[in-house]
Amino acid sequence: MTNEIGNQGMVRELIETNITRRLIPRGLSWFGCMGGLSLVAFMIQLGTGIFLMFYFIPSATEAVVSIQKVSHSIPYGWLVHRIHAVGPHVMIGMVLSHMLRILFKGIYRHPRELHWVSGACLLILTFVMYYTGYLLSGGSRSSHSVMPVTFIYALHIAGIPLAMGLFMGMHFFMVRKTGIYEPL
Amino acid sequence: MKDYTKGKRPEMLEPFFPNELLRHLIVSCFLIILEMVAITVFPLPWKIFNKPDHIPWFLLPLYQLRTLIQNEVVFISAVVLSALLFIAWPFLVCDRKYRMSSLRNAEDRNSNHARHGKGRHNLWHQPVLFTIVIFTIIFLITLCFIKT
Repeated sequence: MTNEIGNQGMVRELIETNITRRLIPRGLSWFGCMGGLSLVAFMIQLGTGIFLMFYFIPSATEAVVSIQKVSHSIPYGWLVHRIHAVGPHVMIGMVLSHMLRILFKGIYRHPRELHWVSGACLLILTFVMYYTGYLLSGGSRSSHSVMPVTFIYALHIAGIPLAMGLFMGMHFFMVRKTGIYEPL
Repeated sequence: MKDYTKGKRPEMLEPFFPNELLRHLIVSCFLIILEMVAITVFPLPWKIFNKPDHIPWFLLPLYQLRTLIQNEVVFISAVVLSALLFIAWPFLVCDRKYRMSSLRNAEDRNSNHARHGKGRHNLWHQPVLFTIVIFTIIFLITLCFIKT
């Protein structure tokens, strides 16, 4: 009982410190939300990707058939597949806008150099993620790929997302530590 | 976590909840609407760029560079070098004067610089860096329109 009350108090304090009683500089730009939007776009990709994982068969002969099955036989499968296919374009648009804002406002300067480094790595990983996704969705039939489908699939669902998770963790940790955009 | 209240008067601050959260919610709704519109219109019916269908718009400069540079080793070296320059950009353009002033500000958070310093280091205040960035962007856009 005492433990429960203690835990509740801790959670309340955590919420109050981080959300309800937290103060931030007045007049932050709406364009400052681009980073958050990139994360939202990534979460949409993650959600739709997990859904597609249940039906996708990573084999050279069955990959395209399984995607067609998702689009035509599964309820709302076409929508999820379409969101997953179009999402990267929106996500990369958001990441590029975020990056250009940081670049032109000079926010990458000391002590935020590592924010830029982790963000740039995330952008490159997003490109690689798109490319592996493209190869999985039918590109592997053509002459563009010399790698086996299972290898590309492993990269697409585990290798690159893990690396992205690490860089994201680093990015958010540093944003939390040094704050947003003001000189320290 | 960074404390924004240090060295600031109360009128320079606003609550994170609900102001910033609401701002993020509104732009997230905007993103979802944008994505739904993109689902209905993608791929665009008009062909602005001369490119194969399997190349997305954001990889077009890379594709055009590949067609311009025939030698594979030179192409890969150019791409890797560009990626490294891109990642290391803040260290390449490191401004010693700014670094020292920001270190001083870390010690003295009540300084005027901490209050009024934002915006002084925008890229357009540094003509050389600004020119490099603008030329690179123009080069990348031009690459998209080259007919190979």
